[in-house]
Amino acid sequence: MWKILSGAFLGWSLGANDSANIFGTGVATGTVNYRTAVWLTAAFLMAGALLEGPKCMEVLNDLSSLLPLHAFFCALAAALTMTAMTALAVPASSSHAVVGAIVGVGLVSGSADLSPLIKIVTCWVLTPICGLVFGYLLLRALTFLFNRTHMSLTRRNRIYFLGILIAGCYGAYTLGSNNVANVTGVYVGSGLLTPRSASLIGGLAIALGVLTFSRRVMMTVGRGIAPLDPFTAFVTVLAGALSLHLFTQVGIPVSSSQAIVGAVVGVGLVGDVRTVSPRILVKIGLGWIVTPVSAGLLAWLFVVFLSGPWWFS
Amino acid sequence: MFLKKLIGHEDREKEVIRDMDSHLRLLQDGCKAFHEAIERNDHARMRRVKELEREADTIRRDIVSHIYEGAFLPYLRPELSKFVELVDQVFDLLEYASACYLEIRFPDSLRSEAARVAFLNQEMCGMLRLTLQATTAGEDLREKRLAIRIYEKRIDDLKFGLMHDAKAIPVEDFWEGKTLSDFLSRLSSVSDVIEDASDHLGIISSIIK
Repeated sequence: MWKILSGAFLGWSLGANDSANIFGTGVATGTVNYRTAVWLTAAFLMAGALLEGPKCMEVLNDLSSLLPLHAFFCALAAALTMTAMTALAVPASSSHAVVGAIVGVGLVSGSADLSPLIKIVTCWVLTPICGLVFGYLLLRALTFLFNRTHMSLTRRNRIYFLGILIAGCYGAYTLGSNNVANVTGVYVGSGLLTPRSASLIGGLAIALGVLTFSRRVMMTVGRGIAPLDPFTAFVTVLAGALSLHLFTQVGIPVSSSQAIVGAVVGVGLVGDVRTVSPRILVKIGLGWIVTPVSAGLLAWLFVVFLSGPWWFS
Repeated sequence: MFLKKLIGHEDREKEVIRDMDSHLRLLQDGCKAFHEAIERNDHARMRRVKELEREADTIRRDIVSHIYEGAFLPYLRPELSKFVELVDQVFDLLEYASACYLEIRFPDSLRSEAARVAFLNQEMCGMLRLTLQATTAGEDLREKRLAIRIYEKRIDDLKFGLMHDAKAIPVEDFWEGKTLSDFLSRLSSVSDVIEDASDHLGIISSIIK
């Protein structure tokens, strides 16, 4: 059972990194305080992991037949890559890291089946596009609705507060349901865990990461990407969450960072405003390429150099 | 704190809005007292402006502390505070002008024009209060802000006439002349700050939409 420790480490790293996409804008705009945000994220994330988590596990197991030790290496390589990205304050994708690691291990062991990669990569490409479309349409629709509804300042203030809160909780739920597969999905294929126990352990690990180490990236995402007002912050999180939920139903773990960045761009398109600074986009883009490649390389190195020694047998 | 915010029925926000309205009502009363005091050369009425300023100061402190204790989204807080500070600035101008008035023998040749400016300031305050009410009710502000700009333009026209007439008054004592000049300068600045406050309401309205 010690082999699931790397998955728990990855979950912790994912929680620290990706929770920024949920309440980052809410915390940065001061709408929700950091402590409330992390507790809400942890709770709804667990709910998502337990209720819909197993949906995305199958596709990861189709990529390669993993031995329990290889599953350990995959999660460890992905976790180390994610931790490095977090330390550099780059919103990285755990889905990319895990898939990169599985492919890396699969290539060494000769069990890699690259055919599901087409579906996976297509979904990865579609994630920011989906976020963009949802962001654009939601902002248009809600602006239309709000402009035709007569509301007092206090009522509007309350609606924005509740909107950010509800969208954040929904975002946490979808993060748990989509990304728990990245954390412990590899152990289901290797026979170490059942989908239910994998969801529980993965969810707990992510929640721990949210509670202990998420502040820095949360501020990077919230303050660095765009100067959002409460209304657009709410729409952005909702659009990102909808995209993530959509891909959970398709059964593909995708990047919540990509979904949110797409949503931010979509929101910016409505007002013809440049919402994303090019420097941050380059930083994120670099993380998207570097993440799967380094995770794959690291996993490959682990299998080649560490599979033999007696302490792993 | 969070649960209070979640289940509370906008109480804190409503209290801030009530206080902001009271703050403006006091300003309106202050402008009215100031106008009547000039018109009737009533020093007791002019002293009332200072009392109203003190009352308004207490309300201003309450509003700002309520805002920073968590009323409204943080995004709106600095803007609401700035509006309150602008209203307070109007009070300061009014208080200083009233102090100047009490120090000098006000020339009768300037009285009617000064009273006219003070009256328009009073009307502008009333309109600013209506603009605040429209902002909090989520209504359109265009007409009200336009009315404030028109008042400001009329005061501007009067201001230059007042300065011109003031130059014809013989000044025998430096401090008498300086105090009169300060009075006129503060009197004519009130409308500028009211206009700024009205513009700020426009900003608040755009932010929340």
